[in-house]
Amino acid sequence: MGFLKYALRKLGLMVVTLAIIASATFFLVNAVPGNPIAARTLRMPETVKAELYAKYGFDKPLWPRYVITMRGLLRGDFGMSAVYEGDTVPNIIASKLPVSARLGLQQMLVGVTLGILLGVVSALKNGRAADFAIIALAAFAVSIPQLVFSLLLQKFFAGAKTGLPIIGWSGFKSTILPTIAGAFVYTSFYARLMKSSILDVIGQEYIMTAESKGISGFRVVTRHVLRNAFVPIITYLPMTVAMCVTGSFFVESVFTIPGLGYYYVKSVQQRDLSMVMGLTVFIAALLLAVVFVTDILYKLVDPRIRLERAGKR
Amino acid sequence: MAWRILRRNPVAMAALGLIALFLIMAVLGPRLRGIDGGVINVKAKNAPPSRELWFGADDMGRDLFSNLWLGLRVSLTVAVVCGAAQIVLGSLIGGLMGYLGGIVDVVIMRVIEIISSVPGLLITMIVMMILGNGVLSLLLAISITSWCGTARQIRGQIMQLRETEYILAAETLGAGAWRTITRHLIPNTAGIIIVNLTSSIPQYIFMESGLSFVGLGLQPPNISLGTLIASGQVHMDFAPHQLLFPCAALCLIVLAFNLLGDGLRNALDPRLRR
Repeated sequence: MGFLKYALRKLGLMVVTLAIIASATFFLVNAVPGNPIAARTLRMPETVKAELYAKYGFDKPLWPRYVITMRGLLRGDFGMSAVYEGDTVPNIIASKLPVSARLGLQQMLVGVTLGILLGVVSALKNGRAADFAIIALAAFAVSIPQLVFSLLLQKFFAGAKTGLPIIGWSGFKSTILPTIAGAFVYTSFYARLMKSSILDVIGQEYIMTAESKGISGFRVVTRHVLRNAFVPIITYLPMTVAMCVTGSFFVESVFTIPGLGYYYVKSVQQRDLSMVMGLTVFIAALLLAVVFVTDILYKLVDPRIRLERAGKR
Repeated sequence: MAWRILRRNPVAMAALGLIALFLIMAVLGPRLRGIDGGVINVKAKNAPPSRELWFGADDMGRDLFSNLWLGLRVSLTVAVVCGAAQIVLGSLIGGLMGYLGGIVDVVIMRVIEIISSVPGLLITMIVMMILGNGVLSLLLAISITSWCGTARQIRGQIMQLRETEYILAAETLGAGAWRTITRHLIPNTAGIIIVNLTSSIPQYIFMESGLSFVGLGLQPPNISLGTLIASGQVHMDFAPHQLLFPCAALCLIVLAFNLLGDGLRNALDPRLRR
């Protein structure tokens, strides 16, 4: 019962937060000087101009527009793109999301898995050459901006030699370089995180208890150390997804991948206000949802919290 | 104390030296070779590195060596200004939250939570849209979200410190608010501030070059590492030096700040010191 109440409270808070973010975005976006259709309507007759202004709602004052926009958001109506004629914002998001989602998932799958593996090796070989090499490599990799790494991959590994396309998004081959470009950030981040998490757990008393009971080293590691070391890792899930969103702006721009990040940048460049508004709200909602799921997962996974609940019964 | 530990760390000292070198070059570099980076020289179009043009020339024959340091100047300006904004705003707001508590604390905390739930890059891009492209609007747009993390940590630290016995002791011995703040609270939060700063400076530098790369930060004819890298990408097949030199500069400066940050963290955190 307590758990359900907790979840509902979090959900309510999330909706309020999203409403505030949407409002703030609306007013920020409307503070942008000029509007995206001004250039287009410059040489049109007055009546057509007025009609076009009415179509995008630029004929109304700020507050009524705010009410219309917020009402629209509630119904899932994000409005029309001012640049891509005749396309609604949800349509554009729906067509670009699968691209970004696939790229992001591939990056996380490769990057996080490799990072966790390296972190485990480094923690178990703590202080030895393997550990030193991994940690030095991770520290070095953190310093290479994703942008530079993407460009270097593109320069040296794309083209005729490897058969990997330089830009674009068609087929598995074109996803390889962008995936590596995004994955290495997670690898270095998770390798360090996993190592410190494991070292924390190894220092705990229950590990000594397990060892003194005569459990083999391998079993102690798999049954006790790793299970507990994974708990704090979960809290970094929202950060990982946020990193993925931020990274996608640059990786997608370098490789010209038609995903959400690339179109966000384009919309900002073209002052496509309704697109910027819609994409920002969408990304914010996505991240809030991840935070929510993480909170719930954390409650479910942490053995200490579970024990507490069992004890009460 | 922390300085003495840091001085014995060769990696951190090398990083500090590199940062100092970059600072000097950002000031002197553009004038060092006597070639004006803005001058278009048709004969030197896409020229590879040579004895005359150390880092080669760009697609309009402009000296890359001079322009690289001009670009670095922007990166370091962003690092200094946004770092300063982060510290000043962060400790002021965080200190206020921790010291006053109550409704002020609750309201600002909610604001911070809301700002932090949107990637800073998005907010920066929207603010850039409002302010237009330029160094000043770039600095403002990056600074606008910079204070949140610091404020939250300072708040936590001050709340924790106010519960400690030595603050209680100082107050019972008659120390006023001013003395408590200057002698106890500020020295005890300095560590957090410095560690915070060294971990966010690389992010600011990266953000600037990334935004300029996609055309949302500085735009040509303004020069930053981002715009240099963007034009380098166009010519990377036949004039790779145009891409590699700015990329190397960006990596080195970020690496230097990261290594210095690691060193400072070790020097300042008593738990890591053994």
